[in-house]
Amino acid sequence: MKPRERRLPLLLALAGFVWTASARAYPEFQTWIVKNSGRSVNCAMCHAHPDGPDGTGYGQIGRLTSEEMERLNFARRAIEPGAEVQSPILNKFGNLIVSRLGMKKVLELKLDPSQLPDTLDPVSDLDRDGIPDAQELRDGTHPLKKEDGRPWRLFVNNAQRNLSPLLLTAAATAAGLYGLTRLLHGFACAARAERRETEDSGEP
Amino acid sequence: MIDAFLLVGLPYLALAVCVIGVIWRWKTQAFSWSSLSSQFLEARQLRWGSTPWHLGILVVLLGHGLAFAFPRVWESLMSHPTLLVIAETVGLGAGAMALAGLVVLAFRRLASGRVQAVTSTMDLVVLALLFFQVLLGVLTALLYRWGASWSTTTVVPYFWSLVLLQPDSSLVADLPPVVKAHLVGAWLILLAVPFSRLVHVLALPLSYLWRAPQIVIWSSPRRAAKMVREQRVQESRREFLKGAAGVAVAGSLLSLGVLEKLARFFQGPKLAGEMETVLLTKRLHRIRMTAEEQALQLERQKSTRILIGRLSELSSSKGKYFIDFNMAPALAFLDANGLPLLISAKCTHLGCTVGSEVNAQGQILCPCHISYFTITTGEPNVGAPAKTPLPHLEWVVVDASGKDLAHRGSSGAIQGSLQGVPPEACSVYVARPTEEAS
Amino acid sequence: MSLYSAIKRAKDYAAERFPIEKLNFHSMVEKKEVPVHRLSWGYYLGGAALFFLLVQIVTGLMLLFYYQPTVSDAHASVEYISDYVVGGALVRNMHSWSSSMMIACVIAHLLTAFAMKAFEKPREITWLTGVGLLFLTFGFGFTGYLLPWNQIAVNATKIGLQSIEQVGQYLPGQMAQWPRAIRETIQGEAAVGQATLSRFYAIHVIVLPFALAALLGLHLFSVQLHGMSRGVEDPPRRQEKFFPMFLIKDLSVWGVAFFLLFLMALCLPFESFSPYPLFEAFDPNGSTPDGIKPEWYFYFVYYPLELLPFGVILVGSGLAMLMLLLTPWLFRSTSRKTLRILALVGAAYFLGMTLFGEDIYHIFKGGGQ
Repeated sequence: MKPRERRLPLLLALAGFVWTASARAYPEFQTWIVKNSGRSVNCAMCHAHPDGPDGTGYGQIGRLTSEEMERLNFARRAIEPGAEVQSPILNKFGNLIVSRLGMKKVLELKLDPSQLPDTLDPVSDLDRDGIPDAQELRDGTHPLKKEDGRPWRLFVNNAQRNLSPLLLTAAATAAGLYGLTRLLHGFACAARAERRETEDSGEP
Repeated sequence: MIDAFLLVGLPYLALAVCVIGVIWRWKTQAFSWSSLSSQFLEARQLRWGSTPWHLGILVVLLGHGLAFAFPRVWESLMSHPTLLVIAETVGLGAGAMALAGLVVLAFRRLASGRVQAVTSTMDLVVLALLFFQVLLGVLTALLYRWGASWSTTTVVPYFWSLVLLQPDSSLVADLPPVVKAHLVGAWLILLAVPFSRLVHVLALPLSYLWRAPQIVIWSSPRRAAKMVREQRVQESRREFLKGAAGVAVAGSLLSLGVLEKLARFFQGPKLAGEMETVLLTKRLHRIRMTAEEQALQLERQKSTRILIGRLSELSSSKGKYFIDFNMAPALAFLDANGLPLLISAKCTHLGCTVGSEVNAQGQILCPCHISYFTITTGEPNVGAPAKTPLPHLEWVVVDASGKDLAHRGSSGAIQGSLQGVPPEACSVYVARPTEEAS
Repeated sequence: MSLYSAIKRAKDYAAERFPIEKLNFHSMVEKKEVPVHRLSWGYYLGGAALFFLLVQIVTGLMLLFYYQPTVSDAHASVEYISDYVVGGALVRNMHSWSSSMMIACVIAHLLTAFAMKAFEKPREITWLTGVGLLFLTFGFGFTGYLLPWNQIAVNATKIGLQSIEQVGQYLPGQMAQWPRAIRETIQGEAAVGQATLSRFYAIHVIVLPFALAALLGLHLFSVQLHGMSRGVEDPPRRQEKFFPMFLIKDLSVWGVAFFLLFLMALCLPFESFSPYPLFEAFDPNGSTPDGIKPEWYFYFVYYPLELLPFGVILVGSGLAMLMLLLTPWLFRSTSRKTLRILALVGAAYFLGMTLFGEDIYHIFKGGGQ
């Protein structure tokens, strides 16, 4: 067990530095999410850069400062769960996964990505849009963007959350419609009275 | 001890007396079941007193009743600041209106001789009770604000403890004297119901609300026609009033909801330090990226060749993106002969960026309209939206000492070779198209 | 003699379109009546479009206070509005939803006006200004789409502009270069970049609103001048006063429209219908995400464009535009029944392409590969 644990970070570090055929860090997860949800996603679901960690853009390995490099290496050493990981190439969600599961588990899950949502905290909701992160993973929507989610789920959650402004507006609309209907009726009455008057005065 | 009596003994006593008294009065003097109207004795002041009083007290009682009957719903509603403000404002306004009406009524009762003639001691007691009760309520609203909210954890559970026969006066024991007096006042009024004109509360003429208005019509046809016309005019006036009220309510509700939001929208967000840092960092990154973009452009203006990378970095299965001399994306692959292969990645159909991964047929895909391009020829697949091939770009391979080893010209012919120099030592450059350079 | 008669005819023509005797408050507002029949609901659509336009103006002005039209800041400023400004997400979402609803109303308005033969003499000018307003509305949609400067915006704009250039292959000789020149003039530079953003911003915020105000003024003026068109073949049994009866009903429709808009804008982010990679900041050096598409109201030209040769679309859309402009003269003596059927066909085409365009595309192109 021990020698294997030591070798893993080394392999990972190598994989990060060498320009490999796969620019996507763990395409297995991405492939599974797309297949499961039917919604296209990119690396930005867990990574800092939409095109993954390799490259020279912001949030990619080619552009890390030495302090960020240290954080990256710390994250790579987080084999076991529970370490407070703040990897610069991952976003908040990616860091949460690594902190919670540990790199060993993440690598194991590569073989069966469909297990990933079940291993996450079922109530954690990083973007506070009302859809838990694990569910967003199943849906193929972004766990850090509150405007991204399955439309119906978002609608129900937001409607519940904004009940009082909705009720207020509904009350205002109802009052306005009532008022307008009454006005309409009033005008009709006034017109009838006027007609009556002209008819009456028309008589000798 | 006195608390226990006033807050637990008195309510049960009042309730018992009220129930028994009402039954007794119904049995023995059903015809006295009235509010003892004195409208025909004096009408003008009555209108200015009775209307605001009844309207105000109805609204206030409705609010109290809702809070008592549906404590959960009320509590959740009152947790929204806007609704809380609305409830407090409406409640206070209605209370003040009721109080003003009572003052007019009391003055009338004391000033008009005709009314005094029919005034009993009980009437004055009731008047005083109601006056102090409403006054205490208004004082509570003014001195101990947000009662609509704090009452849900004090007075409402106290009320329910009485209803459920598990009286718990400790819930209200710590309230200020004004509020306690308001509670006691309520029980006293309950006590007085069977012995006074208050009994009319139990006989609300609800059918007035929906029954058609009865019109008394003269028998002469001319006068009847006039009456009908006047009726119409009056009806339209009533409708206009209702209409205006409806629109006004809608307008005020909307402006209540919108104005505060609007003010805060234009005020701009007040960011905490950490959020500000995140935001500024993001902005700085974007500005730097734009600057890099412009630097690239400048570089393409000034130099005739631009470094892509080491030859060893290139692969035949996955292209490396770079920006060509037209500021369009391009891809660098490793050709079968060990030399680079540079191809434009700007789709010839509508200009999307072509993907970098090579499939089993040696093609790259443009995701926008699904065109597959064979990288060795640049040709699109048959039937693809793109009709013209992706152009290959000119390149130069340079060794570590800066000597040109091989290059591809505009005609597509490759001159020179690697001469055994390892790919790690070779740098690949994209060359400026020769027609432009000349 | 002939010149004199020509001038006289022109004068008569103008007099019929702008009757001087009706240019007063009494006949334009007090006397105006609206026919009541089973197609009367069509009379509310123009008003609904106007309501959504007003919402667009108000929310657009509010967004203008925070939006920054530069390549480096546009996306960040939009994100700032959504994530940090109080009520910013609501205002922005309202702008998106309201634009879609406005376009839906405008298209329904066009079809019902066509079916009711509302272009009949003397209402040609009303129709023509209406068609102009339709193009302006689509112009608003196209220019506004680019402003957030995200992946789908920039890439879809690129595609849209590139299709102008494709016209070139059908033009002879020197003219073949013109479309390219036109595209680059619109873009302001060789590729879609800062110049394009600045131009689209100026067009969206200044040019189109002024043009719209002018055309809309003329449109509403002629509607009030000539009154509502009859709408049905047999004379309607009942008429309704425009002021105040119809106006109050119109306001009620506005009230309902506002509530629906508010509900949608508050509860359903417009962007939740597309995958999130499309709304990331545009990166000129990165890859293009899957699923670049124009806004739904362009599907009726977009999907045919994907399926058919470009020349066919070019001729087809040219003919359609010509038909729209010449409608008052082409269908002068067509019965309303035929017009209704034509309008239904048009509506079916538009709805079919908007709702099932993607499926149709996959049927012909095979499984999305």
